[in-house]
Amino acid sequence: MEEESDFRKINNSFLRDHNYATEADIISTVEFNSTGELLATGDKGGRVVVFQREQESKNQPHRRGEYNVYSTFQSHEPEFDYLKSLEIEEKINKIRWLPQQNAAYFLLSTNDKTVKLWKISERDKRPEGYNLKDEDGRIRDPGTITTLRVPVLQPMDLMVEATPRRVFSNAHTYHINSISVNSDYETFMSTDDLRINLWNLEITNRSFNIVDIKPTNMEELTEVITAAEFHPHQCNTFVYSSSKGSIRLCDMRASALCDNHSKFFEEPEDPSNRSFFSEIISSISDVKFSHSGRYLMTRDYLTVKVWDLNMESKPLETYQVHDYLRSKLCSLYENDCIFDKFECVWNGSDSVIMTGSYNNFFRMFDRNTKRDVTLEASRENSKPRAILKPRKVCVGGKRRKDEISVDSLDFSKKILHTAWHPYENIIAVAATNNLYIFQDKIN
Amino acid sequence: MLGKGLKRKLEQEEENERKKMDPHQEVMPTFYCLQRQTVLTLSLSKLHSQPAHSDPGLVRRVLITNTLRHIQEELRVEAVLLPQSLATDIKDSFTSALAEIEDLCPAVEITSSLTNSHKFRQTEPVHESMESNMDSALFQFTPSLLDSAQSLFNHCPSLLADFSLDDFLFTEIDNLLFDNTPCSSSPSPSSGSSKVISMTFKSDLNELDHIMEVLVGS
Repeated sequence: MEEESDFRKINNSFLRDHNYATEADIISTVEFNSTGELLATGDKGGRVVVFQREQESKNQPHRRGEYNVYSTFQSHEPEFDYLKSLEIEEKINKIRWLPQQNAAYFLLSTNDKTVKLWKISERDKRPEGYNLKDEDGRIRDPGTITTLRVPVLQPMDLMVEATPRRVFSNAHTYHINSISVNSDYETFMSTDDLRINLWNLEITNRSFNIVDIKPTNMEELTEVITAAEFHPHQCNTFVYSSSKGSIRLCDMRASALCDNHSKFFEEPEDPSNRSFFSEIISSISDVKFSHSGRYLMTRDYLTVKVWDLNMESKPLETYQVHDYLRSKLCSLYENDCIFDKFECVWNGSDSVIMTGSYNNFFRMFDRNTKRDVTLEASRENSKPRAILKPRKVCVGGKRRKDEISVDSLDFSKKILHTAWHPYENIIAVAATNNLYIFQDKIN
Repeated sequence: MLGKGLKRKLEQEEENERKKMDPHQEVMPTFYCLQRQTVLTLSLSKLHSQPAHSDPGLVRRVLITNTLRHIQEELRVEAVLLPQSLATDIKDSFTSALAEIEDLCPAVEITSSLTNSHKFRQTEPVHESMESNMDSALFQFTPSLLDSAQSLFNHCPSLLADFSLDDFLFTEIDNLLFDNTPCSSSPSPSSGSSKVISMTFKSDLNELDHIMEVLVGS
């Protein structure tokens, strides 16, 4: 009974807000900007949809800042590599916002090969009264102009336009899996399976390679880079994770090419859990610094781990996401689910971490109370403004009412991408082609 | 649960405690061997059936290849340490994995054509001259694979001593790729159909190259 009330404490705070069905495609990335005012999603069709939070209004205090569509644009198009006879997918792998420095918003979006910097700006005035053009835009015959006038700015309906400002291309032979903006706000890095490149945001025709793990003989390749991120405050520090379950922390001051790490984080394998799939499930699918910069979080197939940057030998905390899948690994290998790349996120105060699972379930772990909860993002099970009910997976034996047995889980409904507002308890959960936004209930 | 139903009963056995592999143990737990067999077959078929239109992910390929390497290492250790009678079980696992792959992947059917003994004799002079052109690194021998090769092609035991498994796969590839060289003056009867398959084979060549490199012990 006590446990139930504790569950209520965590999940009672979440109201379902809106279910935004994106028009066609599977969402491939979700990201709040640094103030939480904007939320961007990228999809498999190469489109970016940006949502903006409504200003809180005094008239409707219970409708606290909902998110509405602000801008939609086609970021990447499918391409064809003629040399290799291969298609380059337009799917947006990652979006990262730049910190806001003026009225316009900037974000980086990337597919497998090319990173683009997009400027999103508002236009609510337009100049009227040109001399050389008339109102329809047609050029006037100079002979008919008898007087000169100064164009005047007139208000117009708000228009949000997205323009590509930079295109960073031709720097990656392999598929880009991560981009990360540096805290210096001048540089960013792009990471593919074998290399990490450093760019200046202003310069598109040159990038510096800072990590290269490609062996001379590709037959000797046994490990690839799976994710990378800059430290939130130290502009010289970054980490990258590997398919063997290790994380390397590098300092760019040490040398130009950071093949030698400063720190190496790896947990020794538990011999009692050894199986044919041990290496595959140890592969890290996501790595995230905490907002404080003191901790690292990594996601592998079955667990989420929190590491202290000062302790390389083992993680500080390990959370089981869906350990009931451990006995099903062979089937999950067969249907390729074992290669699914789940992401993980911190809340604003680094006290709660969240990650996705199957059957449209996602999990939250409170680091302080050690409580965890499983929630479901699906239309069938929640009405708008309803309180999310905690879910439970039954492992064996008798299944209680409202529990789901492991064999009934739908492995096609996977929650790979989630995001947490930088300050508030608002989360965005991407369930295939649907975006769910959950918000704290007002007291 | 999503799944193709391959060896469904194995799921029950997965729930049992898995014993660690003890190289000194003479009797291996059957379900462990069975699962290893399944994983071997799955891994080979996954590597072989990459989507052709878009670039297959490197992460996935590396992880599958590492899994294969691990199994191959286990097989190699077992073959060395265990008596001959049990070594046949091991080579049987490999050959049956290959047999399953042949069923699954039409491109590999070419290798099954090589089991025909008279065909083999026809291509043999081709192969001997081709061998010198091939990278010698490809032809590394391990005892377990030699044995498996023998059980696969037991029509011509005398010739098999010099060959590893690669040879059979690459013999046919050579026939397809070096159509115009004087060595292939005696074309194999299957060349008509193999020309159609040669296009897929060329694109699969790198893949097969890689698999065999892995399997034969790089």
